[in-house]
Formats: sequence, C-alpha cells, structure tokens
Amino acid sequence: MDVLVQLLLNGILLGSMYAIISVGLTLIFGIVRVVNFAHGEFLMVGMYATYLLGAHLGLNPYVSAVPVIVLLFVLGAMVQRFIIQPLLGADEHIQIFATVGLSTALINLALLVFGADLYSLTVPSARQAVSAGGYTMLVGQLVMLACAIALVGGLHFFMQTTALGRAIRATAQNRNAALLMGVKVDRVYVITFGLGAACVGLASALVIPLYPVTPTIGTYFVLTAFVVVVLGGMRSIYGAFVGAMIIGIVDSLSGYYIAPDLKEVVYFAIFILILIFKPTGLFGFGRGTE
Amino acid sequence: MTAKTIVPAVPNQRHAGFLARLTNPRVYCSLIALSLILIVPGVIDSPFVMHVFVTICIFAALSTAWNIVGGYAGQLSLGHMVFYGVGGYTTALLIQHFSLSPWIGMWGGVALSVILSVAIGYPCFRLRGPFFSLATIAFLEVVRLLSIHFTGVTGGAAGLIVPLNLGWAWMIFENKFNYLYIAFGLLLLTLLVSWGIRNSRLGYYLTAVREREDAALAAGVNNTGVKLKAVVISAALTSLVGSFHAMYMTFLEPATMFSLATSIEIAMFALIGGLGTVMGPLLGTVLVVPLAELARGWLGASANGLHGFVYGTVLVIITLTLPGGLVGTFGPRFTKWIDRLPGGGRLHDTGQAPAQRAIVGEVGKPILEAKNLVMKFGGLTATDNVSITLNRGEILGIIGPNGAGKTTLFSQISGFLTPTSGTVGLVGPDGAMTSPSSADEFARLGVGRTFQIVQPFGKLTVLENIMIGAFMRHPKVEDARAAALRAARLVDLEDIKDVEARNLPIGGLKRLEVARTLATEPSILLLDEVMAGQSQSDTQRMVNLIRAIRDTGVTIIAIEHNMQAIMSLSDRIVVIDSGRVIAEGNPQEVVKSRRVIEAYLGEDFVDAQGL
Repeated sequence: MDVLVQLLLNGILLGSMYAIISVGLTLIFGIVRVVNFAHGEFLMVGMYATYLLGAHLGLNPYVSAVPVIVLLFVLGAMVQRFIIQPLLGADEHIQIFATVGLSTALINLALLVFGADLYSLTVPSARQAVSAGGYTMLVGQLVMLACAIALVGGLHFFMQTTALGRAIRATAQNRNAALLMGVKVDRVYVITFGLGAACVGLASALVIPLYPVTPTIGTYFVLTAFVVVVLGGMRSIYGAFVGAMIIGIVDSLSGYYIAPDLKEVVYFAIFILILIFKPTGLFGFGRGTE
Repeated sequence: MTAKTIVPAVPNQRHAGFLARLTNPRVYCSLIALSLILIVPGVIDSPFVMHVFVTICIFAALSTAWNIVGGYAGQLSLGHMVFYGVGGYTTALLIQHFSLSPWIGMWGGVALSVILSVAIGYPCFRLRGPFFSLATIAFLEVVRLLSIHFTGVTGGAAGLIVPLNLGWAWMIFENKFNYLYIAFGLLLLTLLVSWGIRNSRLGYYLTAVREREDAALAAGVNNTGVKLKAVVISAALTSLVGSFHAMYMTFLEPATMFSLATSIEIAMFALIGGLGTVMGPLLGTVLVVPLAELARGWLGASANGLHGFVYGTVLVIITLTLPGGLVGTFGPRFTKWIDRLPGGGRLHDTGQAPAQRAIVGEVGKPILEAKNLVMKFGGLTATDNVSITLNRGEILGIIGPNGAGKTTLFSQISGFLTPTSGTVGLVGPDGAMTSPSSADEFARLGVGRTFQIVQPFGKLTVLENIMIGAFMRHPKVEDARAAALRAARLVDLEDIKDVEARNLPIGGLKRLEVARTLATEPSILLLDEVMAGQSQSDTQRMVNLIRAIRDTGVTIIAIEHNMQAIMSLSDRIVVIDSGRVIAEGNPQEVVKSRRVIEAYLGEDFVDAQGL
C-alpha cells in the first residue's frame, strides 16, 4: 500500500513536468492548428540556455527561468513568423516536414556545438528530499507541481478575461470569422506560438536540476508530450493537464510493476489505442473547449 | 464487354513495343543516368567512393519505397524504418539460428513486414495528417524498445553480429563491387515497382484517394484497400533493402535498425526530389547523400551532427521555397528538353474506346427502393421516415426548400451515410435486391453520384479526373483513357482535357462531375444540383445532356432548384420538406399541391391566394 501511494505520488510529480510541456504543445496545436514536431527541441534549447546561465554566470535555474522564458518566447514567435506562417496555406505534409526539419536541424546543431556529452547542473536545493507522512518527494518536483498548477490557472485567467485571450480563443474557433471581426490573426498566431514555446522555457528551467541535458533529450520528452496531448483531446489545456497526470501515473506504475524499460511501450500502446478508438481524447474535450 | 474484341491480337507487337520504347529519349536518358551508378565506382577505384555509391543505392531504394506510401498515397509515415529493421533482424536471426541463406531469409522478413504493415496501416489510415505520422513514430518506438528489452532474441542494445560466411550464398563479400551489384539491383527493382504503380490503375487511385477521399469513393475506389496495397508493397520493398543492408554492415543494433532519424531522412530525400514522382526520391538521395558522406569523410568526428544539421536546414528551406521538390518544380521543363532529343515527343495515341457496360433490365420495374429512411445527427432529424422507389428508365426530380434533407437522402441512397434506421435496396447484377454497405460498393453496383459542392481532383487534368471514374469498369490504363475521352466528348470537355481541374470555371467543374460519374458507367445516376450557378446556355446544355444520358438506358434522380428545368425534365417529382416526403406525382400535379406551395411560399401566401 505504501509503495502504491508513493508510486502515485511520483506519478503526479512526474506528470506535472509533462503537463507544462504538453500545455505549450496544446496551445500551438489548438490555436495555430500546426503539430509542432520541434517542440521537444525547444525544450532542449531551453535546457542548454539554463545550463549555460548556471555554469558560466552561476545563476540558479529558478532565476534563469525568467530570461529563458523570454528567449523561448522569441524563438517560438520567430519560428511562427518565418517558417510556419508562410506555410499556413500549404499542404499539411509540407507543414509536418517543416517542423520535422527544424527539429532535425536543432538536434544536430546541439550535437555540433556541445557534442554528445551529458551536461547537468547541480542544484542542491532542488534535489533536497522532503518527507511527509513517510513519503518522500524532491523539492524540485514540488516546485514543478506548483508551477504546473499556476500555469494552467494563469492561462485560464488570461484566456477568459483579457482581450488578447478572447482574440486567441476566437481565432481558435474560426479563423476567418475572427479575421472579419478585426482580429489580427497572424499576430495572434505569432503570440500563441511564442506562448507555447515559453511554456517549454519554464519547463526547461525546472527540469534541468533533475535531468541532464543531451542533444536528443527533446525527442524523449516530446513523444511523451504527444501522448499526453492526444489523451487530453488535443485542444484543451485542461485536458492536457489531466492527461499529463495520467501518463505520469502510468509511467510510474508500469515502471515498477512491469519493467522500467517497458514503461514507454505501455503508454505508446495507450497512445495508439486512443488515436484509433477515441480520437477526441479520453474526456471528449476534443471539440470547442479551448 | 471490355476492349478485348477491339485490340488486334498481334503477337509481336509487345516485343516491338519494348524496342521502340528504348529509342524514346525519356527511356534511354534514364537508363544512361542510372548506369552511371555502376560506371563511376568502376572507374574511380576507391573504397570510399564505393561505399558512397552503395549508400546512395540503399537510401534511394528506401526513399523510393517510402514514396509509394508517403508520396503516392499521401500518408506521411515517419516510422518506416520499422520494416527495414524487421527485415534486417529476421534475416540475421535466420542465419544465426538456422543457417538459412539471406536470399531465402529475406523473404521471411518480407512476410513479417507485410503482416506488420497491415496491422499498422489498417487502424491508422483513418487518422489525419500529423496524427498518422505520430502513430507511425509510436509504432517504431514500441518495436525499438521491445527489441532492446528482449535481449535473448535480438542481442538487445549491445547489438547482433552477422556470422561472417563469405560468398554469394551468404551475401557477404570481400570484393565490394558485389555489394554494389545487389544494391543497384534492389534500386532498380524499387524504381520499376514505383514506375509500374505510377502508370497503372493503382497509381491513379492512390492520387485520387490522396486528393479527395469522398470523390474517390464515389468513383468506386475502396479507399482503405488501395492504401493498404500501397503500404504492403512499400513495406515489402523496405524490408528487402533492410535485409541486404544488414548483410552489408554485418552488425545490427536497435538504435540504427529502428532509427527515427533515418526514417525522417528517407522521407526527406523524397521531399527534396519531389513527393509522388518516380525519379524524385532517387534524385534527392543522389544530391544529398554524397554531400553528407563527404562532410563526414573530410571533417571526421569534429563534424558530428554537421550532416544532420545540413539535412534539417535543407528540409526547411525546401518546404519554404520548393514544396513540389526538384522534379515537381523543374520536371516538366526538363522533360520538354529531353523530348527534343532524337526519337522524342511521342504522344499517347488513344485507341478506340472499349465497349460500354450494357444496361439490361425491364423499363418501369423498381431498380432502387429506399424504405423508411431515418437519419439523425444528434438532436436533428434530417430525414424522417422517407421512402422512395425509383423505376428503371425514369427521371425522378427531387425538390424542396433549402435544408429539407435532399442531399442527406442522396447520401444515404449512395452509401455515403448509413441511415439511423431504414434500408436501401438495389437491384444487383443477378436481378435480386441487395443492400451494399459502403459507398464504393454502391458505386460498383452502378450507383453514380455527383456532389453538390464539386469535388474535382484539383491537381489532375480533366481527362485524368474522368479516368478515375473509368477505371472502375476498365482496369487497363489505355482502355480507361479511351473511355474517359468518350465521356469528355459527351459533356463538351474534350477541348480542355489536358487542363488541370483546379483551373476550370464552375460550369466546367459541374460538367466534369457528371463526366467522371458517367465514366463509371452507372445504371443509376444521382445528380445533386448540377445546374446550380450555371448560365442560361449551360443549363440548356445540361438539360439536353441529361435527356441524352437517359436515352442510353440510365435511370436518373436529380435534386434541383431550377424549377423550369426540373419540371420539364422529370417524369415524376418527389417533394421533401423538413425531412419528410410531402408530395409525389407527375410535375403538373405536384406544382398545384397546396402543401408544396405552403412549403415554398408559406401558409399566408396560400391563404391570400385563396387556394
């Protein structure tokens, strides 16, 4: 029983990391309607940036989070403006190739600059264990959970109450109608892509105290993030949050009860089954619930 | 009923045709270019050059095989290495455990890959664009992780070494030229298969399915079936290449055999060269692979990642500047130059059209019976207990206000919608009533439909559009072309038969819809507002055309808002309002019906007129 509770707890903490990455991916897919295959590489870029800030300027990653979020926002906005926007009218497969190409280029650029070595940043405060009722958690994981909840809450507030948030929601519902109502759709897309990337910026600063960075770290996380996004109904940030928690728990339980090296097989199997049998996601958030 | 009686059976003709083909510059230029792959490494005696050329053959073959699914069928698989890996591992394990020659073992790999491709393709083909790609990546990852997990079978992450037995039987050689022969042979095989598909009914069908699934269904194409054929062929070829490459490298590990990065690369070569073209994948590979290999050779380990960076950047630039790829963009101009060479510039001479499917059956007898059709979309009942009977040889007009449920009725009697309750019966070839279950089956049983919102295959020419319909009764390309030309002539599209369909004005598109449907040689023709938005003269042309079609024995149901036209055309009219049949009878009776006038003009009008 104790083991099970600890595993569930681990799952939720792991899920909060997936939640932050997946919420960004969901924003981009739900609003710009582009599947960003380079999303994981944004995470990788953010992690190297946090690493460099920490290793050379001695910045704590939780402090670096601010500049890294800004950097990733700019990166995302530029990708939208210069790569995705010219292709919005193109065939779907061309858009897929564009983000896949970007992903390949970024991975290999990192390989060229940093080599295949692991880089990690030691942040003792984040690796400190906290015990409560016999269960242990790392401070870094708790921070991640808090940030995930704050992110979803903040985005909810932003989308529901601000003019820009309404413009973004309107664009997601119907691009042409929004255009006719005077929404600057292209700008909304640039901002949304930036926001989606900024979420990853936040994630990268929170992840680096716990995971070392390599050029291919993005692929590892993004495939899981895609599973989460599909599970959550693809367009809903709340769905993505819940989906992330589920995948976190599945990861944690299957790693313990089945085999550590097969946990990905388990959630890829879930992914394929969901895609085939319930493409609107587990909770039917799939339509009109931005 | 097919063309057999018309084509003269001269035994030598095929042979003569083959020799004549060799004098066509398109053929001899391709052959000369291909032979360079063997000649260059023969002249430059260097292990490095040899390796580069073997690699080119391997990747060009992989890319060409991928293109059958990714290009022709438009299903962007990013997990294609799964078939390559399965081929390689199966062959290597069969050598290790059973001392089976790779020449035999590779067919075991093919069998496994084919099974796997159906298991992946069948459920995943319903997924749209990026989600299909993601699912294929997921399958690749699952297989890779399993191959690492089951160390006892595959050797796990540490890898597997192929037993080193030299000689042709074992596909492992000291003389590296032998590898080139086999690699070149595999490349030729995939190119031939790819070329064969491109120039066959399957190739046209794949394009049709890629462009518009609904219109393909209406032309009797079994969408899932043709896509499965494509993925099975592609998987088999990919698996063969994987088997050979494993012998060439003599070492297998999950990270390279099931590599996502390589899966992306082979798709990328096809995009750079031109998706959906025969020569595109080869061209893309020839341009990119040597660059990457040279960079690796010159810069060594310091360039780790350089080739990938170049690949990725080139990919992004191509999508932004040349989305059609090199062949797609420059191909037509280049072909023109080639055709100026001696022996070039040949045209297809279209033979005589094959005999049309004969329509048999007694005029006036029921040919289609729809009983109690109820169609609910959530809370909305689009058709509420509609029953109609269609008699052979008649023109039945269906009228009713907008939103009455006319098109929904059409979709049910052509198999595009399955009614919530009720049945659609159709007189089958044996004269008995049958109830087909899918739209393509309806089409093959002789129900042809047009779409209210026209559904042309935009990138195909007018004639090719019509050919998609004609293929249903005439599987041979020449027969289909001739039959399509006959249909084009009938609807006055012959002059613009080589124009891409997307460039046609609406009148032309409406006639193209009719022509493509006619080419399926239907016994029942469903026309959905073919006169809407047409000029006066176009309308008159269409009325005459419909009469002419009926006179060939075809039974017609037409939805129409143009009252003058439909009243003069129809033998019988059915009026639908709010999903119900409110009147039925000959045109004169129907226009006088109080309920019909109410439905169109409102009760107040009826009262004011004192009807």
